[in-house]
Amino acid sequence: MRNFILFIRRFFNLILFLALEIVCIILIARTNTLQGNDVMSSANALTGLLYKKQNDVVYYFDLRRMNDSLIAENAKLRARMAGIKSLDTLKDSLVKRPVKPNDSGHVVQYANYIYHTARVINNSISSANNYLTINRGTADGIGKGMAVISSTGAVGKVVNVSPHYASVLSVLSIKQQISAKLKEGNFGYVTWEGGRPDIMVLKDIPQYVKVKRGDSVYTTSYSFFPSDMLIGVIYKTELIKKNNLQLIYLQPSVNFRNLQYVYVVENTMTEERTRLEDSSKKHL
Amino acid sequence: MTVYIRNFLRFCAIMLIQVLILNKITLRWWSQPAGFPVFIPYLYPLFILLIPFEASVVVLLLLGFVTGITMDAFMNTGGIHACACVLIAYLRTNVLNALLPKNLSEYPNQSPSVKNMGWMPFLTYSGFLILLHHALFFTVELWSLNNIGYLILKIVASSITSLLFIIVYLLLFTRQNARA
Repeated sequence: MRNFILFIRRFFNLILFLALEIVCIILIARTNTLQGNDVMSSANALTGLLYKKQNDVVYYFDLRRMNDSLIAENAKLRARMAGIKSLDTLKDSLVKRPVKPNDSGHVVQYANYIYHTARVINNSISSANNYLTINRGTADGIGKGMAVISSTGAVGKVVNVSPHYASVLSVLSIKQQISAKLKEGNFGYVTWEGGRPDIMVLKDIPQYVKVKRGDSVYTTSYSFFPSDMLIGVIYKTELIKKNNLQLIYLQPSVNFRNLQYVYVVENTMTEERTRLEDSSKKHL
Repeated sequence: MTVYIRNFLRFCAIMLIQVLILNKITLRWWSQPAGFPVFIPYLYPLFILLIPFEASVVVLLLLGFVTGITMDAFMNTGGIHACACVLIAYLRTNVLNALLPKNLSEYPNQSPSVKNMGWMPFLTYSGFLILLHHALFFTVELWSLNNIGYLILKIVASSITSLLFIIVYLLLFTRQNARA
């Protein structure tokens, strides 16, 4: 016993060092799961408040560019709305068939998505896993796992929420893969490999699929994103000899360097869908 | 008593500089001439480097852990900063003993600084520990050796940038007139 105490006293520094490193490793391991780490995140009240105060100061310097992007988005939405209106044959036709909600033919569900606006109060592009902090939290109806988009394309996924702030894992993350598709309907997934924030990689596309520079890559309904959101534009392709697949490099459509306003997309059907998917996994 | 207050104020100042200014630098296009972020300045390990000489290893380890965890909370890294900080806090005493002619207890109430160590020893001391911190941090963060060239480039370039910012900090915040 005496020897044991002597041993502890002799190596106390080393033991404390190893203990603290083990605590760190546990924390890192907990963060690297996709569930994320609840305790240490920039969504907690103190860090969120500090980032918000800073953003309040620098906010005005970006107003001009922000107005430009808002007007561009308005123009885009107006053009799309005009397209929908001119094609609305149901309204123009003489025969109107009312569709009841309990009708078996009524399988299309509209308005699944609720869009919450949010302001980006902290941003990063230089880490291996980049996070944004936004100024909306559970008090505004934001929950874990919701998709975050901007006016130009897919941004990321909410991983931590507090009452008034949320932290978002952006698509510039080496641990996140996003289901993606080409315009012709070939499915693959998009990842980021660290390094330049304006290059992402689309994988799992077979070589017989002909892609051109300038083609668009969209999200699919398999992922948490709403389907057909623009992810990026292809600028280079590379064939892999080994397995008949090709690597497609794309430029994300979102400029992560100056992200100011984003939309958090709440899918009202998510709960039902995950419950169904989980229950079918159990039966396997 | 003033030693505690001075160190606490230094902790706040360094953290605010790191979080509010240095972390935003990489968002600017002129910070990335090659198009990708190779250098990310981390000034905050300087707090651990500037803890007074006579602090025991236990105190150093605990302070290093707290510093790292604070940084992790701001940057969503979940423990990587703390891991690297605890390592340099543990090795600090040994490095100082190797570099200084006198015993550490002969510097009562003083922090390591350019004045009582001289430029070259201080830069060796901080350069070595910063390089160690960055090497551990970026390796754990990237957690793959597929792209080892990029990893090494990032470690070296970031260390040099961090060291430059440390020199700037020391030039700005060291009192020029003689002080006890």
